[in-house]
Parts: sequence; C-alpha cells; structure tokens
Amino acid sequence: MTTEIRQPFRYADTDWPIREATIASHRMSWELIARPGRWWSGAERVAIAAVTRAAAEYQPAPDDTPLPEAAIHAVQKLVVDNANLSREWYEEMIAQPGMSDARYVELVAVVVHAFSIDEFHRGLGLPLEPLPEPVAGEPSRVRPELAEQRDSWPPLVPRAGLNASDGMLYGPWEWGANVISALSLVPENVRWLHDLSEGHYLSFAEMRMPDPLRAISRPQIELIAARVSALNECFY
Amino acid sequence: MLRESSQSNSALNIQATVDPGEDSGVEEGELMIAFAEAAVQRRDDLPALRGEIASRLSTQAAVDAAGVVANFQRMVRIADGCGIPLDEFTERASDDWRGQLGIHEYASAANSPSAVLAD
Repeated sequence: MTTEIRQPFRYADTDWPIREATIASHRMSWELIARPGRWWSGAERVAIAAVTRAAAEYQPAPDDTPLPEAAIHAVQKLVVDNANLSREWYEEMIAQPGMSDARYVELVAVVVHAFSIDEFHRGLGLPLEPLPEPVAGEPSRVRPELAEQRDSWPPLVPRAGLNASDGMLYGPWEWGANVISALSLVPENVRWLHDLSEGHYLSFAEMRMPDPLRAISRPQIELIAARVSALNECFY
Repeated sequence: MLRESSQSNSALNIQATVDPGEDSGVEEGELMIAFAEAAVQRRDDLPALRGEIASRLSTQAAVDAAGVVANFQRMVRIADGCGIPLDEFTERASDDWRGQLGIHEYASAANSPSAVLAD
C-alpha cells in the first residue's frame, strides 16, 4: 500500500489558471518556511507565518506561539503598520531579548513571503493554504563573513558572500540593487526573493524586457505595482 | 517602486499612481488601479473588479494582476522593513518628476536623504 503525500497548493478546486511557476514558487516557499533557517527553527518560522496571517486579519498572535514578544511585535508592525517603520524602531527592535540583526532579517523574509502568498489567494478569493508542518532541527547560526554595514539598516552581503549559484542574481553588480540585497544577511533570501518574484510578477531577467509574456501589458503591470507602492507609502 | 514605471513606460502618466483621479494613459488603467486599491484595502468590490478584469481581458489577466499586487505587498515591506535608500540610478532617473508626487512626505523618505534634499 502506498500513502499519497498531499502536495500543498494544488489549486484543484479553482478555475483560475494559476501558472506553473507560481505554484512552484508557493511550494518552495512553504518548504523553506517549514525548515530550520540560520537563526530560527522550523517551528519558529512556521509560528512567524502564523502571526503574519493573524496580523493580516487584525488578530492577536496565537496563544501558543513560541516567539519572543519582540518578534511578535515586529511581525505585526511589518504587516499592518509598514508605512511607519524607522531606523530608531529597528535599532530598538534588534536590541530586544531574543532578537538580533540577523534574526530580524530572517523574520522579515518569512513574513513578507508568507504574506505575499496569502495576498495572492485573497486577491483571487481563494482559501488560504494551511501552514506547513515544521521540520525538526536546529538553526545553523552561520553568519556570512563578508556581511558589511552600508546605507540600509541591516548589514548586507556582497556577491562573493552569496551561495555559489546565486551570484548572478545581483546582475553585473557587486552589491545588487538595494531591494535585491536587502535581506542578504541570510543569503538564502536572495534566491527566495527571486523565485517568488518570478511566480507572482517577473523574474529578474524578465524585468529588463519591455514586453514580458504575461496576460496584462508591461504598462498595466507597472501601474498596479506603482499604485500598490503608493498605497503603502513606500518611497523606494 | 516607481522605478520600472518611470523607465519602461514613457506613455504612463505617473501622477495617476498617487492620484487615481488622473488618467494614467494606460489601456484599462482605471480598472487596474481600482483592482489594486480594492485588494490592498480589502474592499468589498474586489470580487466584482477581478471578475471585470476576467471578462474584459481574460481570466489569466486577473490571475496576473493578483500576482503583481501580491508581489508588491511583499516588496514594499522589504524596502521599508530594511530601510533601503533609492538606488543611485533610480534617484537620477526620477529627479525630474519625483518631487511633484508628494512622496517625500512618506516616512520612508527618510531612508533616502539625498533624494529628499533634491526634491
């Protein structure tokens, strides 16, 4: 007898034509969230996603969350009050018990990717995917040696410090565009950023194309993007 | 995040991104903006607007539009959660129009002090 392992994000009950790249990027994101990272365990990363989901509905964190209070606050702020973040807030946050610059960066990555996938579902009226079961294990606690403080709040990692196959994601530059390198203190985030971009928007290569193959035109794509940015009061 | 709009779409009236009363100059632009707003603001007319995209363009267009919203709900939180400044080339490319949009009043403008000074 064989046991079928249920794949997440099957989209079996919807007529919306979800692209294969989207499904693949959602599944990869759920796998990444479930696994131990560099600074949070798999259980903690899934808990970050759970607090993210609750915050999006203006609900408190689940009672049984294993996260430190500062982490819960950071998640909630990132989800619902992102227009009012500041360097002072960040510096206070990473000085709290259970936090650090690297733990903050990893937390941001889990928050934004989980939130983005939930937003895709909400946008199409689809039920939210159950969060993944955590994978056991300890975080690696490996900090990149080449991390360097630059103009953004957390330190960044240059191309030479990324995982071997990911250097090209910075394009021809040593540091990449600021938004691409923003989460690089945990280098796996650079690949994650790219793969969910490809699933929801455009790959980094497609971003340089005037007319990528999508069902809405490039001007329509960028109009939506810019309006979402303005609604979030994002200067960048 | 206005970078791509400014660089790849000379026909786009960038003012429409901060003032939806303006004509964007983009085909079905009003519908695209309405959908983006309904999704971000969790408005009750979201189902009707995605249905309108599906009927006037295609079901794939509605899916792609939802993907763009989802992507930029992520990107803005990365940018503002990490306090990143404008990239140099973006700052140069947007010098001519950035100040007109009023976006230097956003709290996150503090992360790009040289751009705000120029405005």
